[in-house]
Formats: sequence, structure tokens, C-alpha cells
Amino acid sequence: MSLTQLRPSAQHRAEPPRTPNKVKLWLYRFDTKTVPYALIAPFFLLFGVFGLFPIIFNGVVALRNWRLDDPTLTGWAGFGNFTKLLSDEDFWNALGNTFGIFLLSTVPQLLAALIVASVLNRRLRATTWWRIGVLLPYLTPVVASTLVFAVFFSRDYGMANWFLSLVGFGESDPLDWRAAKWSSWIAIATMVNWKWIGYNALLYLSAMQTIPKDVYEAAAVDGAGPWRQLWRITVPMIQPVVVFTVILSTIGGLQLFNEPMMFDENPQSASGGSDHQFQTIAQLIYKVGWKDLNLGYAAAMSWALFLIILIVAGVNALLTKRIGGDR
Amino acid sequence: MTSHRYALRAPQDTPGSWKTYLGLAAIMAFSAFPVYWMFVIATSTDEAVTQMPPSVIPGNQLLVNLNEVFTLQDVYFTASLINSFITALTITVATLFFCSLAGFAFAKLRFRGRNALMVVVILTLTVPNQLGVVALYIVMGKLQWNGTLLAVIAPGLVSAFGVFYMRQFIAHAVPDELVESARIDGALTMRVYWNIVLPAIRPALAVLGLLTFVMAWNDFQWPLITLNGTEFPTSMVALSDLASGNYVIYRRVLAGAFVATVPLIVLLLIGGRQLVRGIMEGAVKS
Amino acid sequence: MERLGKRTLRATAAGVAATLAIAGCSGQDLEGGNEDNASGGQVTLKVAFWGDMGLDKLKAAYEKDHPNVKIVLNSGEYNAQHEDLQKKLVAGSGAPDISAIDEGFIVQFRSQADKFVNYLDKGGAEFESKYLPWKWKQSLSPDGKQIGLGTDVGGLAMCYRTDLFQKAGLPTDRDAVSKLWPNWDAFLNVGKQYVAKTGKKFVDSGTNMFNPVLAQQPVGFYNEQEQLQMEGGPKVAFDVSMKAIEADLSADLASFQPNWDQGFKKDQFAVLACPAWMLGHIQDTAPEQKGKWDIAAIPGGGGNWGGSWWTVPSQGKNVDAAVDFVKWMVQPEQQIEVFKTVGNLPSQPALYKDPAVLDYKKEFMSNAPTGQIFAATAENLQPQYLGKKNGPTRVAVENVITRVQQGGLKPEAAWAEAVKEAEKAAKS
Repeated sequence: MSLTQLRPSAQHRAEPPRTPNKVKLWLYRFDTKTVPYALIAPFFLLFGVFGLFPIIFNGVVALRNWRLDDPTLTGWAGFGNFTKLLSDEDFWNALGNTFGIFLLSTVPQLLAALIVASVLNRRLRATTWWRIGVLLPYLTPVVASTLVFAVFFSRDYGMANWFLSLVGFGESDPLDWRAAKWSSWIAIATMVNWKWIGYNALLYLSAMQTIPKDVYEAAAVDGAGPWRQLWRITVPMIQPVVVFTVILSTIGGLQLFNEPMMFDENPQSASGGSDHQFQTIAQLIYKVGWKDLNLGYAAAMSWALFLIILIVAGVNALLTKRIGGDR
Repeated sequence: MTSHRYALRAPQDTPGSWKTYLGLAAIMAFSAFPVYWMFVIATSTDEAVTQMPPSVIPGNQLLVNLNEVFTLQDVYFTASLINSFITALTITVATLFFCSLAGFAFAKLRFRGRNALMVVVILTLTVPNQLGVVALYIVMGKLQWNGTLLAVIAPGLVSAFGVFYMRQFIAHAVPDELVESARIDGALTMRVYWNIVLPAIRPALAVLGLLTFVMAWNDFQWPLITLNGTEFPTSMVALSDLASGNYVIYRRVLAGAFVATVPLIVLLLIGGRQLVRGIMEGAVKS
Repeated sequence: MERLGKRTLRATAAGVAATLAIAGCSGQDLEGGNEDNASGGQVTLKVAFWGDMGLDKLKAAYEKDHPNVKIVLNSGEYNAQHEDLQKKLVAGSGAPDISAIDEGFIVQFRSQADKFVNYLDKGGAEFESKYLPWKWKQSLSPDGKQIGLGTDVGGLAMCYRTDLFQKAGLPTDRDAVSKLWPNWDAFLNVGKQYVAKTGKKFVDSGTNMFNPVLAQQPVGFYNEQEQLQMEGGPKVAFDVSMKAIEADLSADLASFQPNWDQGFKKDQFAVLACPAWMLGHIQDTAPEQKGKWDIAAIPGGGGNWGGSWWTVPSQGKNVDAAVDFVKWMVQPEQQIEVFKTVGNLPSQPALYKDPAVLDYKKEFMSNAPTGQIFAATAENLQPQYLGKKNGPTRVAVENVITRVQQGGLKPEAAWAEAVKEAEKAAKS
């Protein structure tokens, strides 16, 4: 559905009432000229005040000294907060973590979603119930599910380590999942993947079902098996939706907050592990703003994150299009 | 041997084989396991939680654990559930109302600047609103709303996605002729909305309502920022408190987590069909 | 059909209005919680602290005697409570009526004395003579305002598991155990014996070695000029914790976290450095271990770790009622009650002579005379100056120790890293 295709509505062709009396005419003019604005006003007002204005104002805050612990320290900081950012180890570390977790979650997530979608894309008994089933993780509060995963990945009595011990790994020296970057990233990526595979699978599924059937019939003559069918026909045909999901998971993945927060042994610390192994940018913004109480600097970080998201989403969209387009 | 017969059909016409159902069963297990295990720990004793191999059978301690969660006075768990309901319901109802009004105007009314304003709505769809949290906190501070439910409710009352979704749906679902004939009968705009548009878009309201409720219920970052440390947490904030006091006990934490998840499971059972349909339709349209 | 739809919709619209109204009202309720107190004579006091400060019984007793006062207890996470208080002080609203502040943060807050009720303005001067002089001084601002009335002090001792010691062939009697470790090196040697004999770990974590040793040093992280002094006390304490980790004595459990609590129950460690306030945590966490713990002297002797004050932020609407409650809480009867329920040692020396404290035997701790043990350390104490940034600095160094335990950092490289992180925290 293209956006420019706004359809002219019928109502402007409606004729004014036959017997124009003054009040009625006024009412008619009011109803056609003013009421439409009244209908959209609540949205724009509320969105302006609580959505748009904060984002713009954020830019102002980023250029100022704005501390919660020392209100006397105010005034313009120029680009001080931004230059500080460039040399801030914590920021670069968090950026690396965010990207690491993002890659570990996005790629397997979308691949798994494709596979789940292609399994669902069969003539099944109780179709809807299977679809509802894969949606359960999407509805489950992240805070709640992350707490389960925190127990699952705990060092001493965690189920993950029990599985590992079954294959003879770490029986005497169990893995501390939170300790190293790679293991904590895997744990967090697992949570993200769990939550989003089903949702993305439904998006893919709906796109798959719009593929004309004769496309498959034509391909079947060449002897394409189900697996080749998926990669050769289905995936290129649903490419726009794939691009869409890539953008969605970029926006979501780069703002990852809940999972690393609740995975921490002490969720209130927002430190993302003893060496910030899994501290993401969104988490660092929270820590700088509401634990170090330096709002100006946190605002600058938000802007940096925004830019990064824009760039990455753009690059991803291009890449996905390119890869799909070559087929 | 891949049977050639099947390949002749489109996948959606191919009946699922036993392998398909096996795969589906595995997928279901993967989806449901964390929630199930949450329930297991929520019903267990401390000993069962630390036992090796881990227990996967529910215990009989649910009431004991729940009692601890609800009587833990620092966490305000009961209040937090009520707060979450107030917040999510208000946000849902308001979003449905405001967004259907705006969607109706954009789809069926003509006014100057309509297309430009719609483009603004589309653009704001792409801006992650998390980015404004610092400034939002300052704004709420000026309004003296920080630490109150208003701070959580106000930013959620409308959504650009809601307007966009409603516009798309109304454009299709409400025939222009119907609006036109009502107009000729002298019906004013609000009457058209009330008598013609609203009845026609009930399915869309259900979908948007479900999505909005789920999002509002699960929201964590902003409520944490503005409500943490008050007596008025939402259930997500209360859960994070439960998981970070000086006495963190897993069976208790997960009993709380389970309680906070139950409303959504109920919602999934009641509205799952609509939700699936809504998500799948949304994908095709955008 | 159409009718029904209309009715439903109308009901929905009414619902919108009603819910908005409710939300609006409750918003006001939330904000104006104190206003209706003033009108109805009903006063609600919110008390913020962390852990278990033994207030449940006090609350009930006070509310019974003062029907117009309702007390709301809010126990949160240690660091978060202090950060939250700081946030609310600057915001000018939202702070609790009464807030506990720990030793580790008191310097930070006493430098903002204008945001707290000065007890000296509320007839608090009479308390000066009752407190340990150093306790009174610690919460006194540079310009002579008293922002806090002391609750407890954290005189140090070493708690140990008699049953586990017995299995390891170690003595179990508290005097004999004390003699085992006159200093920290001896303590580490006992640990090595224990580990060799049982194959289990001895201490809970490297950080819980670091903290008590640091508390015994004349100078902590900062000197009184607020300069970071890492090469002094912190280095000594850090080395002890490294030795413990290298000798494989540590169970590597982060304290006050779920795995630590599980560690209690699963006998993952046999000793725990315990200031008086730790007793409450042990008995709350592992009530089934009653009689299996005892208390010996701390290696190296003396030291104070923790201990708090009750403060009243001046932004509150009921500061007078709050001050009254605090004054009541620090009365001898109440202090003794707290001492008996959770073990926190009062900071008023007269109580150390009180038979209720002196003769008290803690049943949970194998009838150890906790009053005598902790009072002896508290009275002879040379308090350490804790800088404004003491809290974040301690967290930073603890994180480095945790990294060594987790294997991400070699012990040789750890000290340089600790210094770096501490300097960063000092500047933040």
C-alpha cells in the first residue's frame, strides 16, 4: 500500500442542504472545515508534547551541562558532551557489545523465522493454534522471561550448565555465563531470539501465502525440492518483508535494554557485568542519566545512538535488497 | 527421496507430513518452555530450584511463594498489578479512540494539508521514541508528574502506528458511498464516525487494542526511569525490584514473574486469533 | 446488530472518559498523598532503607501508640536506595520522609546538609552525648548541621560454620577458632587446610575479603582532603583478596545476589566476615542453619564496616512527625529490640553496658554473646574517613575483584586495573 495513494473521499461531492438557513449553513461549514482538524488534533497535540518535543529538546539538553546531583552546574556545554563521547571507553565498549549481541541475535533469528514460517506454510490441522503458539514469546513480558533465562544461565545450578555437563563440559568447573563477553552475548542473544522468532515467522508466513501458486508449479518442473524451493523461490519472492524485518530488528536490537538489564546479577546496577561485558548503549544511557545523574551526557549518547540506528538501518536495507536482488 | 508429487503443489497446499508435525511440536516446546519453567520454579521449594538435574515438574508451593510475593511490602506487588491494569487499559482505550478519529479524518475527510500531515505521521513511525527519554524525564519533572502513573500514561495515549493502521483499515473497510449517502441525509462528521465508521472497524480495533495493551503492559524502560523507588510501580518495575533487593529468592521472583505474565496468556487465549490475523495483515500491507 | 454495536461503542466511550478520569484522579492521589494527611490529621511516613533493619515490630508498636501515624517501610537495593535519594533531593520532591544513609555514602550527603532537616534545630543536641563521638561526627556537616541520628555500627567479627569446621577437623569453639587466625595470613592458611581437607571453598568471595581488610586500615580509599589513596589501605586489602582467590579459597559468589543466598544453603563456604548487621541476613537467608553458625574474632582485630543513620529530607511535608519517629527509634528500648531481632549493634555506648545487650546470647549463632563481641570492637574503633565518592569507588574495585574471580583478568594485572577503575570512579 503506497502512501501517496491517498484516495479522494466522497464527502466533498455531497451537496449542501437544499434549504440553506443560516445556522445550518454555518454548521455545515464548521463541520467540513474545522471538524477534520479537531479529529486529528488530539493525536498531534499529545504526540507533539510527549513524543516529538522531547526528541528535539533532547538535542538542547545534549548541548548543555545538566546534572541531577549538582543543579548549580548548568549552562551551555557546546559540543563538550559529544567530544567526551568520542574518548569514552565505556561508550565504545557498549557500542561493541550492542553490535555483537545484535549480530548474534538478528541473523539466527531471521533464519530461524524463515524455517518456522516454511514449516507453518503447509496445509495443517488446527492452523490457527500453531500460529498462536509461536506468538507466546512475543506476548510474554521481557522482564519476566529474562528472569527465567537468568536462572537458566546461572553458574551453579543453571539448566544450561546441566546440559553442558551432560556432554562432559565443565562438570567440575561450570561455565559462568555472565563472566565473558562471548558467553554473556550468547545468553542474551538467546533471549532475544526466543522472543522474536515467532513474530517474524508470522510476518514471513503471511508474505509466503501471497506468492502466486503457479510460480511453484513452474519451478517444480525443474525438479526443485522443498529446501531449494524455499531458498530459490520463496525467499526472493518475500524479499520486501525480509527487508522490513531487518529494519525492525535493527531498530529494536540497537536499543536493547531489558534483557541485559535483567540478566545482570544485580539488575539495579545497570553495569552489564563486572567488566561491562554485556552493557548495551541503551543501558549505558540509563546508567549515565539516572545513576551517574548526568542528563546532558546521556542526552548526547541518545543522539549518537539515533544516528547509529539511522545509518545501520539504511545500510542493512540496502544490503538486504542487494542480496535479494541478485537472485 | 523427496516426493515429486508434493513439489508440484505450492507449499500451502501441501499437507503437513509427520515430519512437519514433529517440527511444529519442537517449535511449540521451544516457545513454551521458558514460560512453563517459570511456572515450575514458581511452584517449587528452594531445594528443588538448586537440585541437579533440574526439576521440570511443578511443585506444590505456588501458594506459599505467591503469599510471600504479595506480602513483601517493599515491592508493592498488589498495587503494581492494579497500576499496570490502570495504565495499560487507559492507554489502550485512549489509543483506540484518538487513533480511530485521526485515521478516519485522514482516510475519508478532505482538509487542507492532509497529505503533508499524513507524511508527518509516517515519518514519526520510524523514530524510536526511546531516544527522547532524557528530555521526557525533564518535561515530566517540570509537570511534577515523575513518580506518578500520569508520567507513564501520557506518552502512551496516542501512537503514530495506530493512526497509520487505522487510516489504512478505514480506507478499505468503509465504502465511500456509505459515507456519501449519510452526508446527503445531513449527518455530521461525528455521526458518520459513530454510526458508520466505528461499527465497520471493530476487527481493527480489536487488533490494535490487543497490540497496544501488550506493549503498555510489558513496557519497562520508561516506567523504570520515572517510577523506580516510588510506591506506585507498574508490575514490570515491581518485578525488577523483586529481583534486586537484598533478599532475592528465585522461586519468589519467578512466582511474581508468572503472575505478571498470566494476564497476557489469558489475552493470548482469548484474542490470539485476532492477534495472529492482525500481525499477518499488517505485514502484507506495509 | 447495528444497535448492539452502537451501545457497545457508547459504553466504550464512557469507559474512555471514566478511565481517564480515574487515571487523572489516581495521579493526583499519588502526588497529593501528603496533602490529605495534613487535612485529616492522618500522617503517612515513608521510610526507605535496605536489607532488614528490624523495623517490622517497631512499626507495629509505633502505629499502635500513634493511631494517626501510618508507617510505610521500603527496603530496596543498597546502592539504588542511595542513588534514588540523591535524585529525589535534587528534583525537590519524591524523597521518602525518612531515609537511612549508610556510612559509605554519608559524606556525599552531609555536604548537602541544606536538603535535610538539621536535628540540632529540632532539639537533637541532647543526643550528642549519647552517641559514640565518631559516629556523631560522621554525619555532621562541615558547617555544623546534624543530618543524621545514628542507628548502628558495623563492628567486625568472623562468622563461621561449626558443623563444616568439625568435618574439616578444625576446632569449633569460638575462642579456639579466634586463636587460629591472629592475622589474615594465618586466616588464609586455615582456609588452605580447609580446602585441602574438604575439597570445598572456604570464603564466599574475594570482595568479602577486601571489604573487611580495608575497613581495618587507618586510611581507606580517600584521605580527608578527598584524594584517592590507592597505594595505602586499598592495596593491602586488595592483596589479601588476591591471595585468597589464587589459593582457590573463594566460592566466587557475588554478595547479596541470589547465587550467594543459594551458596549459604548449599554450604558453598564456611566463613563469612560479619559486621553485626550481617547476622540478620544470615538468619533470614538460611533459617534452617540455626545453631550451625558461631562468631569468632576477626583476623587483624577491629574495624568497622557499615552502619547507618536516619535522616529526614527537608522536602517532606511531615518533617516534624518524621523527626519524632526517628527520635523514638533511637531510644534505648527500640535499639535493643532491633539488636535482638536482627543483630544490628547500637551506636550508643551506654547500651553496651546494658545487661540486655551485654548478657544477650544469640541463639541462632550457637548462643554467641553478640553484644559483648561486637561492643568490644565498636568502642575501640578508629573510624576511617570515607570520601564523597566512596560508594562508586568501592563498587568499581569490587568489580575488578569479581573479574579476577570470573577468570577474565589475571591476578598480576588486576591491581593496575583496580587503580584505573578507581580513578575513573573518583572522577565520574
